[in-house]
Amino acid sequence: MNKLVKLFITSISAITLALVSFSSSFAKVEGDYIVLGSAISLTGKYSSNGVHTQNGYNMAVDRINKMGGVEVQGKKYKFEIIYYDDESNPKRAAQLAERLIKQDGVHYMLGPYSSGLTKAIAPVTEKYKIPMVEANGASRSLFTKGYKYLFAVLSPANQYLEVAIDLAVEKNGGKGVKIAQAFEQDAFSQDVRLGILDAAKRTGSEIIIDDKLPKELNDMAATLAKVKATKPDVLVVSGHTKGALTAIRQISEMKVDVPMLAMTHCDAAKLSKQHGKKSEYALCASQWHKNLSYKDKFFGSGKKYAKDFQKEFGYDPPYQSAESSAALLVFKDAFERANSFDRDAVRDALVDTEMQTFYGNIKFGPGGQNVAKPMILFQVRCKGDDCENRVVAPTKWASDKFYHPIPKWSERS
Amino acid sequence: MGNIKQKDLILYSGLIILGLAAPYLFSAFKVQLTYLCVLIVLAMTWNLQGGEMGYNTFGNILFYGLGMYLTASVQVGMFFPLAEWTESGGEKTFVHTTAQYFQGIGVGLLVSAIIPAIVAGAIGYAILGLRGHYFAICTLGLGIAAGEIAGGIEIIGAGQGFTTPPFPAEIVDTEARGKFFYFLSFALLIGTFVFVKYIYGSRFKLILNAIRDNEDKAEAMGIQTMKYKITGWMCSAFFCGLAGGIMGGLIGYIDSTDVAFDGREMGVFMVLMAILGGKGTLWGPVIGATLFHFFKEGLWTLILGWQYVALGVLIVVIVIYFPEGLMGWLREKYPERFGEVIDEKDRKAQVELK
Repeated sequence: MNKLVKLFITSISAITLALVSFSSSFAKVEGDYIVLGSAISLTGKYSSNGVHTQNGYNMAVDRINKMGGVEVQGKKYKFEIIYYDDESNPKRAAQLAERLIKQDGVHYMLGPYSSGLTKAIAPVTEKYKIPMVEANGASRSLFTKGYKYLFAVLSPANQYLEVAIDLAVEKNGGKGVKIAQAFEQDAFSQDVRLGILDAAKRTGSEIIIDDKLPKELNDMAATLAKVKATKPDVLVVSGHTKGALTAIRQISEMKVDVPMLAMTHCDAAKLSKQHGKKSEYALCASQWHKNLSYKDKFFGSGKKYAKDFQKEFGYDPPYQSAESSAALLVFKDAFERANSFDRDAVRDALVDTEMQTFYGNIKFGPGGQNVAKPMILFQVRCKGDDCENRVVAPTKWASDKFYHPIPKWSERS
Repeated sequence: MGNIKQKDLILYSGLIILGLAAPYLFSAFKVQLTYLCVLIVLAMTWNLQGGEMGYNTFGNILFYGLGMYLTASVQVGMFFPLAEWTESGGEKTFVHTTAQYFQGIGVGLLVSAIIPAIVAGAIGYAILGLRGHYFAICTLGLGIAAGEIAGGIEIIGAGQGFTTPPFPAEIVDTEARGKFFYFLSFALLIGTFVFVKYIYGSRFKLILNAIRDNEDKAEAMGIQTMKYKITGWMCSAFFCGLAGGIMGGLIGYIDSTDVAFDGREMGVFMVLMAILGGKGTLWGPVIGATLFHFFKEGLWTLILGWQYVALGVLIVVIVIYFPEGLMGWLREKYPERFGEVIDEKDRKAQVELK
């Protein structure tokens, strides 16, 4: 026992020494680099969207660094990002945020992917007064907590599919419609649901199916069977990438006829590529589309961004990547206007942000959400076997007409 | 406790001093240290069932999650309408004063210890009649079911999740929150350790061992096994609930399946840590949890994307090479250091018998 105790004490002191020498934290600005931190979902249920987010960040970092970097007090700095994998788990994300701030000495954060993870990280960044520009946490409850250091470049989640309900009512001659809806049980999708509830109340529509789907959903046959039986006017589904893929797969397998299908995350799921004609006529909410006419000097237009992104990563950028790139443009702009690395100065500069990026106009409301950019809707349309997303609403940006109602499966070739 | 040996006294006081000094020595690692304390508590309490009683439970995560929700709900509900707090569309912002925050968490933790213990009693009464893998599978269902149910209850945020009250803004020191939760978890760790050590010196532990080794014989000897099994589980639930309550406050955001009833991670980790260190020993879970936490924090980020593969390999290695855990392995190698006297004659006789 004596030796064992000695061994134990020795190892503890060794670890102690190692930790003490390790815990001297780095600076937020190292040499010519401004170090940003981000916990990203590289594994777990959000891994595909996590990678879209990371690609968006990396693309913008490369571009800004190549084009001269960030100028603060006459000196040029480059961006650098420290990434950790949060495993799509809020508990892990909060822990990693703490680690980025306390151990890696990060003073400026970029958001993770998804509302749930952003909700877990925001209390940490708020506590240490670390400005966080996030691009993938749209849940409305993020913006009602009175957070002062949280800035979101996207529109809040409840706005995602409200437009779709308005569109359905319009097609129904202004009368209320029958809505069937199914939402994943997570912060984001539940917020989309609240938006639909508001829209239903406003338009006098009736919700006839209101299902909750499990996380990482792979099956929604029960909901679809009900849809088949009750014949609603609109079917609304939201459940991140997997939700979109599952919905299209099972709707086509079960040949469910519904006049209008509204979803989220179609472009992240590469729906038009993965399911081709089966996904035709699906209506999708999006924060961004490459055909919109916003511009900035780093990426040019949306179309140019899409082309460059395609060249770099080999696929069409979903809006998750675009908004993530925009987050870095916001940071660059704020650093230069603050002309300082003082966290509060940068935070104050972020509050005053008013700019146009290729992704859209950005101006933060009192809660930190972007109030300058509307949501858009696109519809998957096919020519032969070639399918693509076309913007159908709002009318100001619409490149195509909205096709309604969806033809029955028996009539589709 | 008067008969603690001097050697042990040095060890314990050394560890307590280290524990008290740790947040000042490694200021940047406070959160990880807090996690470590909670992980050790979970491993030690799991060991009471899995190690001592021979009932492999996956259900302890139920008490952990329950404690988390209860603490947060009480902390909010004591001062504000809970439904408005969790409703995401709510435009009102509620702020706890410093006094409210600490009163809330105090009462919340009390509740989060008592209610899970009662729940454990009730569930235990129903299912502790099951044995072996039937019990394991049944408890596996408990955690999953709880996660799904919690995800449907609007008043605790349902699928939206539950944001726990932020640390009072009046306390300007940004280190205060980290220290508060660290010392809370450290106190819990000491409490749990003292309790488990007390059990190790009691008849109660022998009864649990008897149940593990042969339940029918134990019963035949007149032990009311059911009573002891339930009591054992209630003890575990008591500490698991507290651990959950502290974690909820520390993480700041409770999600039904990913944070609270996180059977896939915490639920598996607590089993793994106890087995790694050696189940059925006092120090095994402590050492197992510590090693596991260092492994996880140290290597996890170096092998991004492969960490779960590494974890899988680790599990395989543990099961194949250290089926009795590190303590078991050490005990086999150096039995004399564990105070075991080997009777050479008896050993030879046994070899001959084989």
